[in-house]
Amino acid sequence: MNSDSEVPTLEPIASFQPSLNTRAWMTAPHPKLPILATASADKTVKIFSLTTFRQLSSITGGHKRSIRSCAWKPGTRNESVLATGSFDASAGIWRHDDHPGSNEAHNEESKNDRSEDEDDDWRFAVILDGHESEIKSVAWSAGGQFLATCSRDKSVWIWEEMEDDNFETVAVLQEHDGDIKYVRWHPEEDLLASAGYDDTIRLYREDVDDWICVSTIDAHQATVWSLDFEPPKNPSLIDSVGPDAARQKDLQELEKSGPRLASCSDDLTIRIWRRTPKGGAEDKPLRDRIPSIIRTNNVDEEWLEDACLPKRHERAIYSVAWSPKSGLIASTGSDGKIVVYQEFWRDSHDQDEVRSEGPPTETSREWKVVAEVENAHDIFEVNHVCWTVRADRGRSNEGEEVLISTGDDGEVKMWSIQRGT
Amino acid sequence: LGGLLSATQPIDDPFDEALSASESESDRDFDEEIDAQEIYDLIAPISDPEHPLSLGSLAVVNLPDIHISRPSSARSRISTVVIDITPTITHCSLATVIGLGVRVRLEQALPPRFRIDVRIKEGTHSTGDAVTKQLGDKERVAAALENNTLRGVIRRMLSTCE
Repeated sequence: MNSDSEVPTLEPIASFQPSLNTRAWMTAPHPKLPILATASADKTVKIFSLTTFRQLSSITGGHKRSIRSCAWKPGTRNESVLATGSFDASAGIWRHDDHPGSNEAHNEESKNDRSEDEDDDWRFAVILDGHESEIKSVAWSAGGQFLATCSRDKSVWIWEEMEDDNFETVAVLQEHDGDIKYVRWHPEEDLLASAGYDDTIRLYREDVDDWICVSTIDAHQATVWSLDFEPPKNPSLIDSVGPDAARQKDLQELEKSGPRLASCSDDLTIRIWRRTPKGGAEDKPLRDRIPSIIRTNNVDEEWLEDACLPKRHERAIYSVAWSPKSGLIASTGSDGKIVVYQEFWRDSHDQDEVRSEGPPTETSREWKVVAEVENAHDIFEVNHVCWTVRADRGRSNEGEEVLISTGDDGEVKMWSIQRGT
Repeated sequence: LGGLLSATQPIDDPFDEALSASESESDRDFDEEIDAQEIYDLIAPISDPEHPLSLGSLAVVNLPDIHISRPSSARSRISTVVIDITPTITHCSLATVIGLGVRVRLEQALPPRFRIDVRIKEGTHSTGDAVTKQLGDKERVAAALENNTLRGVIRRMLSTCE
């Protein structure tokens, strides 16, 4: 793929209505249904439709302070489960019975049926108490078994749902020296990453019966605000690798490492981290996902910097999102910009060029900015950006991906990446 | 007269557009005219949380320690105000509260296109860097301002600003 042949732009498609008119912190797209959940400083979560761009529900009454974060439990059947994390130090679990044939449940036709008791559809099921101060982020593991929460009290809690609405604390991890801003699970393994005010990223996994810290990344120079993992089998590299031997080898190495991790910071950088594969003697790619090492006494992992993205932000970068479909990365922050980056295979004759901000290890890949918008939410800060699949009538194809941004102006906006011809 | 005007002027009168354009022009001029002295005048009357004195009279805020940077590019509309505050004593336990008061005052008084960075002036406080980091953390500031006790303290500090 050649970056010069097409110059994508970010076009605003819609603002979800009505505006929250107060700070909106972040938005989570539902894993299956065409709906979004937006966490707000007004102590509510708003549910928006991706087909009509209108608010379907307002989830209220569970929290006494700002809702900072929310996350949909993956893999649920016939119901939607939303976890919320609040500045009131509690996390909430909310349940919603999805109508039979739930793909239609949130379309325009059924909206009238829903509107009468729409707010009652959401049942506040459980309150998870334990943190001593504000919860900053909540995240479900890929299989839905575990819920992680993190707080200004410097701890990460891992909860496991033993039976319906009965959550047990399986770990309290106190590795950070400060406020923990963000938790995120690996897309394939029960590996948890946390990031925070102490400028570090920590990774945890279960060893025998205990959750322990298996890696610490401390290369950032300021608060790490957010994290996202690379999608498994990232198409952006696989689809364009071609016959070049050096690229093939690099791709094989990447497959051994598994999904990489992206982090964004108040130090104005976005960095990509890559796990050093264990059992270095092996050559075959781990496509079959059978672990080569069942368990060793040493579960420590080494995560090294794979890349530093081109610097575009002038103020704190609050959010980074790695697209599961295209492998593009989007970022946003205090400067109000949304920036989109793409990873390319480097032309082989570029290999010897000196790079000023290159990663410490040699790779045959490079990141470029492919789209950028300033003042994405007028003059306001943008707190969050994420990817989802477009569902409204204007979509060009079934899999068209869009960006959702959430700002201090209370707006939730949808952006389309338009590729020039 | 009002009826006559509305009857003779179409709703999309181009004059209206010209008027609104010149209005936004003057808005921009207004913003550009905001200088360090005006910022100082906004924050100097803030009361110290434990003395019946203003931050200006205590030299906690000082005109030379206020810096404004204009938008970094033609497309950007974001300006930044940086204020270095000088705590009265190097171990002042109220430095964070004073800094919050300054930040809240400017967030209320300035148009939202201003980003406000309140810092502890270098070498004037034993934990200056830690306080500066806290004051620069939007999330911690937002959470702190949901605390009623702290909000009351800041309201009293700002009550001398009108």
